[in-house]
This record gives sequence, C-alpha cells and structure tokens, in this order.
Amino acid sequence: MSQSKQEVLLGNEAIARGIVESGCHVVTSYPGTPSSEILPAVVRFKKELGLDTHVEWSINEKVAYEVALAASYTGKRAAVIMKQVGLNVAADPLMSSAYTGVRGGFVVISCDDPGPHSSQTEQDTRFYALFAKVPALDPSTPREAKEMVKAAFELSERHYLPVILRPAIRVSHARQNIEFIPVVKLQRPADFQKDPGRWAATPRFRLQLHKELNEKLHDIQEEFETSELNTSVPGDDRRLGFIAGGTSYAVLRDTLQELELEGRFPILKIGTSHPIPQRLVKEFVAACDQVLVLEEPDAVIELQILDKSKLLGRLNGVVPSAGELSPEVIRQLLVQQANELGMETPTEIDTGELSQLVGDLGLPVRRPRLCPGCPHRAAFFGMKRALGSKAIYPGDIGCYTLGLNLNAVDTCLDMGGAVTIASGLYQAYRQDNRDVPIAATIGDSTFLHSGVPALANAVYNGARFVLVILDNSTTAMTGMQPTADSGMLADGGQGQRVAIGDLVQACGVKFIEEMDPYRVQEFEALIKRASQHTREPDGGVAVVIAKRPCVLYDPSPLEENPVPVTISEDCDGCRYCLIAFECPALVLDEDLGRVVVDRRICVNCGVCVEACPKGAIVEAEE
Amino acid sequence: MKTMNFALVGVGGQGVLLASDILSELGAHVGFDVKKSEVHGMAQRGGSVLSQVRWGDKVYAPLVGKGSVDYLISFELLEALRWLDFLKPDGIAVVNEQRLPPLAVSSGGMEYPGEERIKQALSQASKEYHIVPALAKAQELGTERATNVVLLGALSRHLDVPEKQWLEVIEKRVPKKYVDLNRKAFAAGQAL
Repeated sequence: MSQSKQEVLLGNEAIARGIVESGCHVVTSYPGTPSSEILPAVVRFKKELGLDTHVEWSINEKVAYEVALAASYTGKRAAVIMKQVGLNVAADPLMSSAYTGVRGGFVVISCDDPGPHSSQTEQDTRFYALFAKVPALDPSTPREAKEMVKAAFELSERHYLPVILRPAIRVSHARQNIEFIPVVKLQRPADFQKDPGRWAATPRFRLQLHKELNEKLHDIQEEFETSELNTSVPGDDRRLGFIAGGTSYAVLRDTLQELELEGRFPILKIGTSHPIPQRLVKEFVAACDQVLVLEEPDAVIELQILDKSKLLGRLNGVVPSAGELSPEVIRQLLVQQANELGMETPTEIDTGELSQLVGDLGLPVRRPRLCPGCPHRAAFFGMKRALGSKAIYPGDIGCYTLGLNLNAVDTCLDMGGAVTIASGLYQAYRQDNRDVPIAATIGDSTFLHSGVPALANAVYNGARFVLVILDNSTTAMTGMQPTADSGMLADGGQGQRVAIGDLVQACGVKFIEEMDPYRVQEFEALIKRASQHTREPDGGVAVVIAKRPCVLYDPSPLEENPVPVTISEDCDGCRYCLIAFECPALVLDEDLGRVVVDRRICVNCGVCVEACPKGAIVEAEE
Repeated sequence: MKTMNFALVGVGGQGVLLASDILSELGAHVGFDVKKSEVHGMAQRGGSVLSQVRWGDKVYAPLVGKGSVDYLISFELLEALRWLDFLKPDGIAVVNEQRLPPLAVSSGGMEYPGEERIKQALSQASKEYHIVPALAKAQELGTERATNVVLLGALSRHLDVPEKQWLEVIEKRVPKKYVDLNRKAFAAGQAL
C-alpha cells in the first residue's frame, strides 16, 4: 500500500484534483450537466490546501472562456469548464484563440452527454477541435481524466494553444478510487507582454496566425504518434481489430472480458482524438482485415482516418448513429462480428426473455416532476389561470422546463431562447394583425446567462409579450450554484450583487413587477395586468419577477410559515389537481376514492388550496 | 475475483446515491478496483434513477448491460421490476417494501402491479429475492432517511464482507451525530 492518499472520487472531482495538482491559477465555469461538479471540487481542494486559486462562476460560457483566456495571456495556467452545448456559446473565442494562441497553459474542459441524459443535443465536442484546429484529449475513466488534465496543460504550454479535454458523462459521473499527488506550486507573476500582431491581430496578421496554427497542429500530430496517451493492446487474431476512445474503450474492454474474448483481437486506444496519430492508425489498420471503430457520440476519429476501406463504424451504418454506446449495444456489435467470424460467444447473456417480461408488465413511466412546494409550479399555475391554453408559452432551460407537464411550456430551444422565441412569435403574429397572448418563462440564472441581450433586443424592436423571470435565488437544476443576483461567489465569499430588476429596467422595460408566486390569486391578477400592458398603445414587454427561493435551496421560509393542508369530504376524486397541479405530495387513494396528502414529502406550502375547483383542499386547523 | 456488479434503483430523492456511494467506498476499502455510475440533473427530480457499482480486480467501465447484474437493490417495488432484465440468472434482488405510485397511476389510467405479479416477476428473474420492510424499520428508528442503510444491512447478508468494514465505511460517510442511528439501521437490515 503506497502512502499517498486515495479517495473514491467522482470523475468531475478527479478532474478538479488534476486542475489543482497542475498548479492552475484561474478556473472559470458556467454550470451545466454533466460538468457542474468540477468547479465546486476545485473550491474544496483550494480550501483544503490553502491555495489562492481564482475561481468563478461566470455569467455564461463565452464570458468564462475569455476571463480564463486572459489569465493565460499573462502566463498563468487557466482552465474553463462547461457542458458541450456551452461550448456553442463559447465558440467565438475558441475559434479566435486558436489563431492567437495562448501563453500559460490553457485547458478547455467540455463535458459531452451521449444519450442525451440532460441536454438538448448529443453533439460531439471533439468536432470543435477539428473546427478550431486545436488538440482534443478523450479520457476513458476518472483516473485517466485526471492524468489528462496534467497532460493537457503541458501540451498547451509546449505549443501555445488551447487544449480541449472532453470527458463524456460516464467519465464525469463515474466514481473511482483516485490517488492524490502533491500540488505543483507554479510561481507565475502576471506578465502580459504586448504583442499587437498577436493579441490584437487584424485580418492582415490573421493569415499568418492561421499558417502558424497549421504548423502547430502538424507538430502536435507528430508528437501524438509516440504519445503515451495512445496505447495498444496486443491480439493475435487479426481478422478483426478495434480502434476505440473514451467510454467506448472502457465498455469494449469489459465486454470482451465478459464474452471471453479478451486478448484475442488487437485494440488501438486513441486518447488524442484530434489530431489522431495518422501513421500509428495506418499501420494498425493495415495489419487487420477489418477494424471496428467505437467512439461517442459521433464519428470524429473515424472521419479522420484517411483509408476507410477496412473500417466498420458509424459512417457505414455498422455502429448506430444516435444514442449511447451502452454495454448492450457494444455487446451486440461484438457478438455479431464474432459470429461473422464463425466464433461462438457465451449464450447465457441472452436477456430476451426477461426483457420481454419487463415489456409485458407495461410499467408506467416515472417522468421527472417539479418538487413539492416548487415555486415554479405556483407560477405556472397562476399563469395558466390568467391566460388559458390559447396563449403561447415559450420556455427555457432549467428545472422549469418541467412546466411542460403543466402545459405551460410550449418551446424549449436553448439558453435564453424563451425571450427571443417570444419576440419572434410576436413579430410573426403582428404581421397578420393577430393578437395571441405570449407568456415566456426563464430562470434567474438563465436570464443572466443570455436573456439580457435578448430582452434588450425585444424592447428595441418593439416586441410585446409577458416575460416571467422565475427567480428562485439559485441555479437549481445543476446543483444550487449561486447567481450574480445573489451576489454570492463560487467559493462562498460575498461579491457585488447584480440585481435582475435593475437589468430589466436598464433594458428599457416599462412594466416591471415582482411578486411571490405562492400568492396565486394576486399573481394571476398580476399576469393579467402584465398581459394588458402588452396591448396598450404605449405598452411593450411586461416583466414579472416571480420571486421565491427554491425549496431545496432554502426551506427556511416554509419552516417559518408552514401552511399545512387537509383534504375534506368534498373531494370527489376528480383528479383535476393531480393533472393540472401535479404536486408529488397529492396522491389518489384508490380505496377512499379521493385525493390524500402524502405527509412524508409535503412541505406545507399550502399552494394547492388554489388547485381544487371544488374547494376540497383546505388549510388544516391548528 | 470475478467482477461483482450491483444495480441500485429507485425514485429520485430516495437516497439511492448515498447508498451507492457507501457501496463503492466499501469496495475500495476492501481493496477492489471500483467503478460507479450515477445520475444527476433532470432525472433527480422524482424520476427513475439507476446507479451501478462494480467491484473487481480490474474494472474498466462504470456501466454494465442487461443480464450482468449480481445484486439488484431496489428502493421501491415497481422500480425493481423496471430493471429486472439487468439481473444475471443467478442474481439476487433485495427490494424495499414501498410503493410510490407514478403519476400515470395516481392520476388514473394505469395500474400499479399487484403483489402477486411483483413476486412472480421477481422469482422469474432472480435466483432469490427478498422483499424487506426497510422503510418500516427505518421509521421504527425514527427516520425514513435511514432506509438506505437498512437496505444495505439486508444486502450485507449476501456479501462476504466483514461487518466491521461495513461499519467503518458507514461511519466515514454519515454525519457524526447520525453514526449511532445508522449503526442501528444497519443492524436492523442484517436481521431482516
């Protein structure tokens, strides 16, 4: 047993440990599943080790990218962390910084979500590496992710380029025992050296920078030919070989073991998914009759392989082109290939019969729902009561996308999309002189992320709609990260508060009101007044700030003022409340034929008193 | 040793994550290579959750496929059925006796499977299954939140890991003031 400390860490915590162990000075992020746990873990290690690392939750990914990049300009090490769709937001600085290059090691960590489990697309971050012409590393396990962070900083400093680390969800959200190593303390006083031809390059200089980038990429590819990040597993049966990266490599190794085929076929593991080591790959492919390429979520390695004649992969339809390469999918691919080679595989893994059994049970799906007492439910309920089902309800990204269940979310495009879609809908209907009520919802963190320019645009261009900012004081969906409106900083310190109401006012909105959505009747009346404002001659966008903290984040207001309810004999089991209000704490008692309150999960918000058309849900007598 | 695979399933908010954390820490404590997968984000809001834990000499991925799970630990009856085809033919299911009807049931339209159906499916899919009153035992101890540790106690009867090591990991993972409670919860589970 070595003396070094070991701990079972989440992949994201292992990455954080790698960042800290690499002596990184500045770390920025915007939360998003599956990346959200990295920055808080950096904070944990920073505190444990007494480091003065600058950490921040930035307003959005573009901002986060640029703040970290500037630290690299000064020679310090910097990392920026986001989920894969966050990189869409940060694509602009990514492309440009590939040309300008960096000084201190700069690592872009973008977590992919094959599945997708918690994202609007299954996009592959590694395509951005090809697009921007920067290197990308792809870990298969949490332990490897930590090692690759170190490799990424060193690579970045050898070639003065941003380096992408792309952990997929099964790395970010896997746990593994991880060894801690001592932290490197790098003395790097900030030293920005003026070089306008680089840091302020005009198009005239950009051509030269592009040529420089091409040379860097060429050198990096040469380096990757012999890099330890690419490894091979020998196998004598060369009728079939595997080229694999990321989680797919890990699943492949386990599945070969399970099928008693371990050590039989050669494997080339690609850790440097861009640029791939072309000569190494060419030699490997030449030595095999056929090569199955396994990677997620898209064909990034496969596309880079020049001679595809022996390849079996996504491009020729052998590997499915959407969804996770789960153990089932890879097992099926291996069994199929083994059978084609006339080999037998263990048959006991046939789960057809059991799957049939589970299918025949016809189990009801358990879809995610808003929590008991969630202030969003109250807001949606009030909005629906005010504007009915003819109104159009553009929604956004967060817990409150679950307003879908209440028919109070009709669109969900991307971060900030509620405001812009509402604007565009208004303009489209206005052209036909049609008055359709539009009521958009956006969370506090999402509004700050990209709702502000969208709102300024709406006001400027004369759009008219109701915008409800669901302000629950936190970024709830991704694990309660603080927002600029709270003023709380990533490490728990107090920063300068940026008030949402002030921003709305500065965007030129004339109707701004704030209310606790628990006051359902008043809230309903407020939404009606807001909607009226959008129709008045001098009206415009009306903003309602629905203010009430997330019940998981801050249960104290409910503990101080509980409103316990009871259900009277008047309940006839009509189920209206179950469908229109959908609180998990309201359940139908089949035997009684009426709704009862599940006391174990009820948080005594009392809002459901409004949800019964028969008045059967009443405040309990003390 | 052959790799040992666990699937812990339940409903978001039931404490599946903490139980799977304890199980993976235990594997590492005993000296295995450990991998675990878990679910964050949207699914945590009352949806079905699956966490897998794997112990072995060398484990590559945190996931296992259908037909590969040795122990299915379910926090809820219906959820046990949903993941049944993950069990190996000689797999064991340990199921908390608790019903949480999904909305599709409580708002009408669909039915929660009956007791006989549940038992029949469990017996068809596993070598042995145990429906245990973990929730009730936890309630007797004063808090439902101990249900997960009661379930782990029930699971421990099937594993060749000394009680001492279980307790060491549990003590490490739970807040100090709850150590005694969780020791009792574990003992209650062992007795089920």
